Amino acid sequence: MTYVIAQPCVDVKDRACVEECPVDCIYEGERMLYIHPEECVDCGACEPVCPVEAIFYAEDVPPEWAAFTDAGEVFFTTLGSPGGAAGTGPISADAPLVAEFPAPAH
Amino acid sequence: MSTTELGMPGSHGLADVPLAEGPQTAKDYRSDQEVRWCPGCGDYAVLAAVQSFLPDLGLRRENIVFISGIGCSSRFPYYLDTYGIHSVHGRAPTLATGLAVTRPDLSVWVVTGDGDALSIGGNHLIHALRRNVNLKILLFNNRIYGLTKGQYSPTSEPGKVTKSTPLGSVDHPFNPVSLALGAEATFVARALDSDRAQLTEVLRAAADHRGTALVEIYQNCPVFNDGAFDAVKDPRERVQRIIPLRDGEPVRFGAEGEYGVTRDPRTGGLRVAPVAETGEDALVVHDAAAGDPTQAFALSRLDSGDHGPVVPVGVFRAARRPTYDDLVRQQAGRSGGDSTLRDLLRGRDAWTVEPHRRNTP
Repeated sequence: MTYVIAQPCVDVKDRACVEECPVDCIYEGERMLYIHPEECVDCGACEPVCPVEAIFYAEDVPPEWAAFTDAGEVFFTTLGSPGGAAGTGPISADAPLVAEFPAPAH
Repeated sequence: MSTTELGMPGSHGLADVPLAEGPQTAKDYRSDQEVRWCPGCGDYAVLAAVQSFLPDLGLRRENIVFISGIGCSSRFPYYLDTYGIHSVHGRAPTLATGLAVTRPDLSVWVVTGDGDALSIGGNHLIHALRRNVNLKILLFNNRIYGLTKGQYSPTSEPGKVTKSTPLGSVDHPFNPVSLALGAEATFVARALDSDRAQLTEVLRAAADHRGTALVEIYQNCPVFNDGAFDAVKDPRERVQRIIPLRDGEPVRFGAEGEYGVTRDPRTGGLRVAPVAETGEDALVVHDAAAGDPTQAFALSRLDSGDHGPVVPVGVFRAARRPTYDDLVRQQAGRSGGDSTLRDLLRGRDAWTVEPHRRNTP
């Protein structure tokens, strides 16, 4: 189990959680931030600082966003465990679920 | 790492601990207890590192024991699916010593903090280190008493303002690595909670060591001492601040290895200087297995030097010396075991008080 980021983060990417994470395990994708499921240590520091309340403990993801529970795992299948988001930088990719998410109306 | 064999029993810290039958994963070491520390606590990172490192040892879980004292870090044993004892404040090394002596088939770990180990249990710590009992001490150093809500600890910096020191602490702090080396410890290392790869490497070396191992872990307390280690954790700064100790290699650091550690003829200790000024030949070469701990001690003093905040991390010392528990077991075997002990306990009085007799003419 780990913390995960759900739909409210899509196209928002405030990054307050990135600053807060003590182990630097929140990575930036194209449209959303992702918590690395193996690097996350379950400390919960990110959850209260998210301005859009997108972060949940995996067991507590609201049913309407349940599909996001595995988004991180899918996102990191090709990336592996880089061991730190700061050294990796933004990644121009997304989990399919996020990539296919309708773009915001402007 | 080269070591000198002195004909001692066993050679590896886990030589007598039985192996598990099948492969293990980190999940096997997670207990069913809800982990309760403050959000962002460095203890979570250490717990995750330990849980993912223990499967690599491949030991039977029922032959591993984690013994803690009192403090936030001392909740550790509840969260690991091994045996564990949440013991007496500062006294975890005493329980661990007893277990290590009587049960060589156990991998014995102590989890403690800067207050528990260095203040309340200061004496127990130094004597465990001097005796070289085959146990591993993880000292979580957050430089504050967190569980009691923020009083200065034996590792807090001078001038620390806390609820108990509103005008600033006037105490001089301990450097746990220097203390351990001064107490004749055979294995001393330092790691950061946020660097899992380095922490794991140090944990592995400690487990392999036969004797008392002290691992100081810089651990952030986000509530009562947030940012205590920011200077050595900042992604841009840390490369200029962290000195990685690698056995057998010259001690140097910086993005391009542009800084090095050389002898200081003025003080007899070590100092940091640009390699361009000193030349590569002047750099000291790290020798963790050296019988003489003088250079390891000098390395531990670098973070107290006048060249700004630099922190050596890694294994300062990993030297061989007979262990207390091996020697006790040897001696018990030679002396004839239980019958001799019984004779001793039930034997004649060694000394008696005679009733006073008055000298009468």
